[in-house]
Amino acid sequence: MIETVLDSGERHSVAELTDLAYELRHKLLELCGTYEGAVHIGGDLSVADILTVLFHHGLRIDPDDIANPQRDRFVLSKGHAAVCMYIAMAMRGFFPYDEIVSTYGQLDSAYGMHPCKVQLPGVECSTGSLGHGLPLAVGMALGARHRGETHRVVTLLGDGETGEGSVWEAVMAGRSQKLGNLVAFVDRNRQLMTSFAEERVMFEPYPDKWRAFGWNVIQVDGHDMGQLVDAIAQLPSPDSDVPTVVICETVKGKGVDFMERNLAWHAGSLGAADLERALAALAAGRENTTANEQEAR
Amino acid sequence: MPVTFTFGEMLSARSVIGSTLAELGDSHPNLWVLTPDIGATLVEFRDKHPERFVDVGLAEQACVGIAAGLAYDGNIPVVSGMLPFLSMRALEQVRTDVCYPNLPVKIIGTHGGLVGNGGSTHYAVEDLSLMCSLTNMTVTSIGDPVMVGEILRQSMDMPGPIYIRLAVGKKDKVLYEAGEHDIRIGKGIVARDGSDVTLFTHGTTVAQALDAAEELATDGISVRVVDMFTLKPIDADLIERCAAETDGRFVVLEDHLAYGGLASRVADVVADRGIRLESFERLGIPQVYAGFGEDEQLRDKHGYGLSATVAALRRAVAPATRAGADEPAAV
Repeated sequence: MIETVLDSGERHSVAELTDLAYELRHKLLELCGTYEGAVHIGGDLSVADILTVLFHHGLRIDPDDIANPQRDRFVLSKGHAAVCMYIAMAMRGFFPYDEIVSTYGQLDSAYGMHPCKVQLPGVECSTGSLGHGLPLAVGMALGARHRGETHRVVTLLGDGETGEGSVWEAVMAGRSQKLGNLVAFVDRNRQLMTSFAEERVMFEPYPDKWRAFGWNVIQVDGHDMGQLVDAIAQLPSPDSDVPTVVICETVKGKGVDFMERNLAWHAGSLGAADLERALAALAAGRENTTANEQEAR
Repeated sequence: MPVTFTFGEMLSARSVIGSTLAELGDSHPNLWVLTPDIGATLVEFRDKHPERFVDVGLAEQACVGIAAGLAYDGNIPVVSGMLPFLSMRALEQVRTDVCYPNLPVKIIGTHGGLVGNGGSTHYAVEDLSLMCSLTNMTVTSIGDPVMVGEILRQSMDMPGPIYIRLAVGKKDKVLYEAGEHDIRIGKGIVARDGSDVTLFTHGTTVAQALDAAEELATDGISVRVVDMFTLKPIDADLIERCAAETDGRFVVLEDHLAYGGLASRVADVVADRGIRLESFERLGIPQVYAGFGEDEQLRDKHGYGLSATVAALRRAVAPATRAGADEPAAV
């Protein structure tokens, strides 16, 4: 757990974070139901828990002081999950949620399919093309290290994205430069846009690949809020020498049964009827989870 | 150690890069130097400021991405390397990570043109075309080794990115006497005045252009040589003035593809401003992969060496004979 002057947000319990993630998914589906264009809903839903734990718990940030030099930096390397980040940030107080819903994807909106720092201050980096976020994060971590600052640079990659060679160039650079202030979360949802990942690319043994490059590896269930909170507590001190990857096992489309592990829902739009169906599925999933947890106790 | 130089002598542009960056590293505590394993030039900076020197090894994409990350973090990163790789392998990082957010990353390197005898893998011949197409990018190509230092110093105050192209940079003629010209990014230099024809050029061929002008002077032909070292933003006013002052006769000479580089930049200005020309000829690399050979041999072989330049200038001042001229290869 990171305790600093900047950590001015409320401290949330695991149950509260779980509720926030539910709300984030609910809002995502609403947007996917009202916006006529395609939303990358599958990959948004797979990172909803990760972004919730980062923006409401892990990152030292202040929505009222977005240029604070001590803030943690967050780089959304999988830029196509922008809308999930916008909403997570809105829920943390960075942006008005209504503005996202009413302008998303429209002409001159700051909220587009991929995040743009120039158009949307509060976003740290302009991303979207895959394989770019980790090199950017390495540079930001180098700068912080040089100035003796203790903030972290955290990036979120998709597992499919780690097929890009530039990712591994940066993996080597991050280790070579001894950047303990660098943390990569990987959304290991095991799906590419058009296929299941292992059918096309032999990612496994995936954690071993990161270990072989000298990184500290933490593996969690990316939908288990308790494990995500623990992972953040386990992060080494930012002034240590080894960067960390948190490999999050996830399900693309998580929370909506007909979207889960369904290649048709990499991106899409829900009509009014499907929105109702999706929200019902989300609610049913939550009830099942609650029941299972009670049973486990 | 500051580099000392004398007009007309040979000087290594690389040594100027090294000493200038070391000097700028003192005055700019947020200046970083990054390289993908092309660090020999940078020893002086590395020894003086090791904590701000990053050699990523052979990883051009990460090198430019990391530079962008440093710039997001408030630093001034200089990426130094071989231009064929920085301009092509890392092109998307230059475009998307640097130019899109308009970050002050400086890209400087060697092997612009058919230089160094490395073959087509190691010649940057499309780079100026690629870089000029990027929104927010300032594009320069430097011949005079002393100017390299001046341009680097000026670039420190620029809010956005700049591309600085050199040839081999091991042995370059000092073209300009100190204080002789007002050297400013975005302004062409009239390296030699003349009234019959303007010869526009940049980088390694400026020296050749001056030699050609000298040769024609003995025949009473007055050639104006313009060192258009900034290709973007182009000095359109100077182009318009040259058309008026040299009878609308233009020759463009460059160690770059004949289409897409300076000749195309000049032609764009001519078209956009409706400038009436008597003649226009471009000398540069045709659409071939050029093969091996020494720099001068390749320029001669591919039709933009000294004798070809002299011949083109003669044609320009005698347009009636132009029909017999060799046309450059098709685009």
